[in-house]
Amino acid sequence: MKKYTFIIVALITFFISPYLTKAQAPAKEASVKVTGEVTSALDLKLADLQQFKQTEVTRKDRDGKDHIYSGVILSEILQKAGVTLGKDLRGENLTKFVQVTASDGYQVVFALAELDKDFTDRMIILADKIDGKPLLPADGPFRIIVQDEKKPARCIKQVTGIKVQFAK
Amino acid sequence: MKTYKHNMVFTGHKSFIILVLLGLITCLSGWSYINDSIETGPYQLVYPANFGNRINVPDDNQTTKQGVYLGRLLFYEKKLSANNTLSCASCHQQDKAFTDGKAFSEGVDHVLTTRNSMSLVNLLWARKFFWDGRAGSLEDQAITPMTNPHEMGQSLEISVKKISNTVTYPALFKLVYGDETITSDRICKAISQFERTLISCNSRYDQYLSNAYQPARQELNGMNLFMNGPNPEKGIRGANCAHCHGGAKTYKELFHNNGLDSIPKDAGIEALTGLAADRGRFKVPTLRNIALTAPYMHDGRFKTLNEVVDHYSDHLKESEALSTFLRGESNDIGGKTLHLRPEEKKDIIAFLDMLTDSTFINDPRFSDPNKIASKQKSKTNSK
Ligand code: HEC
Ligand code: HEC
Repeated sequence: MKKYTFIIVALITFFISPYLTKAQAPAKEASVKVTGEVTSALDLKLADLQQFKQTEVTRKDRDGKDHIYSGVILSEILQKAGVTLGKDLRGENLTKFVQVTASDGYQVVFALAELDKDFTDRMIILADKIDGKPLLPADGPFRIIVQDEKKPARCIKQVTGIKVQFAK
Repeated sequence: MKTYKHNMVFTGHKSFIILVLLGLITCLSGWSYINDSIETGPYQLVYPANFGNRINVPDDNQTTKQGVYLGRLLFYEKKLSANNTLSCASCHQQDKAFTDGKAFSEGVDHVLTTRNSMSLVNLLWARKFFWDGRAGSLEDQAITPMTNPHEMGQSLEISVKKISNTVTYPALFKLVYGDETITSDRICKAISQFERTLISCNSRYDQYLSNAYQPARQELNGMNLFMNGPNPEKGIRGANCAHCHGGAKTYKELFHNNGLDSIPKDAGIEALTGLAADRGRFKVPTLRNIALTAPYMHDGRFKTLNEVVDHYSDHLKESEALSTFLRGESNDIGGKTLHLRPEEKKDIIAFLDMLTDSTFINDPRFSDPNKIASKQKSKTNSK
């Protein structure tokens, strides 16, 4: 008798389980859209970010302690999108800026030249990890980390969009 | 139109000429009346320098005096609703800073809206509209209340027809757009022009910022609490409101979960993005004229500002999407919530009262134009 109940329960679970998992609304995956003055727009998910060369930047967080953030140098992402960097970053292209938007609507800008390694050694990365672990939900999954900048205001959290524009 | 019907009773050649003449006279008088009394040309949007110039006026809908005039009439026009009972102003009343004092508002079908009516103020600087920011322009926004069955409940085609079948509107549309064609697009554009003029910049807080008002001690205390984050280690008391509600406009166009519910009934922005981090996230609304716009929050759950401040001080609900700006902010070392003292709560409300702009709610430029007309009529009648 016990055997049969077990089999029946197992069978029911087997048939029902796909519906149970479906009932939990499939949460969408966060991404960062790269748009504006680009030749090919990007929509980067966490897995896409792993396709780039990974870089680490150390900076203090609000707790006053040093943390190692890892992710991708922003200019390498922009290069992939066909933004005018390197030898193309001259003339009117020097009036371009990058506007970064967070999911709560907060926005900050960087001059395109601030991101170019021919202009500066300071690294600005799109991070997805802190001390080797994924960023906390309130900070991530994507966050800009600006090396050595005194204020953290441009280390914008929960990044959803990166838009390259001409200053008018 | 009435005279026309009367004349239909007569027949023959003579009455036809009379008819045409009468028609002409009506048209001409209507036209010259419009030309005489309506100023035309670019509308000067006046505001203080500390509001900044990041304003939002679409290239194809520049603000003109005649456009604002028409927009104001349409904003107060009940013909834009299914049974001629509601206008935009039914749920957006000037004396309540363009809200309606209700948790939810009743539409033409007597069904309630699902969210609290929003104050219409300083929209010139806004880029996302509604509690969840789903509309990208005022022009797009206006379509929703007009056509929503639980608001004004009338298709745009019928609205266009009803507005076209009036004596005054076709000539006004000509004045604004160059020809008499009435389209839903033109209706929305004119309403938006009027909405952009709803600028509030003369509260006691504005006067304080321009060195024209010296706040009382309670107001100053409240302002300091509002502006500063708490830092119990350094003995600094604060409520950190400005982090989300700060700036000269007390509006920053941010979207946050402010801890109303652990499991929100209304998912807010999550319903649009499907992202768990957006659960229960809503527009951080302007606090301008906040003393006039009760009840509060997207569902009007709080009747008074006392309840609101109590919420932030003591009753935040934990959830994954709760804003980081509200986590670990406490006036007690290691505390979880702000834990404000009773007199501090009163101080904050005294500051919130400083945001009331009585010039704005009494500005004749924003009031119901029909009421002025009927007032003038009754005046002339009584003479
Ligand atoms: C039946 C009541 C009702 C009527 C009539 C109504 N509204 Fe609203 N209005 C609301 C509610 C409720 C909201 C919030 C809805 C939401 O977020 O989903 C709102 C929101 C708005 C907003 C967004 C403000 C902001 O800061 O984001 C604007 C603008 C607006 N209404 C303009 C209008 C205009 C223009 C009309 C007339 C064409 C109108 N409303 C008619 C109830 C009404
Ligand atoms: C994390 C950002 C954040 C902080 C900090 C914050 N608020 Fe809010 N506030 C919001 C959001 C978001 C709403 C709308 C929430 C909703 O309706 O779901 C809101 C709504 C309000 C409202 C109601 C507005 C209306 O029109 O219904 C008042 C009043 C208010 N807040 C006052 C305060 C005060 C006072 C403080 C400081 C003690 C404060 N807020 C701190 C985000 C914030």
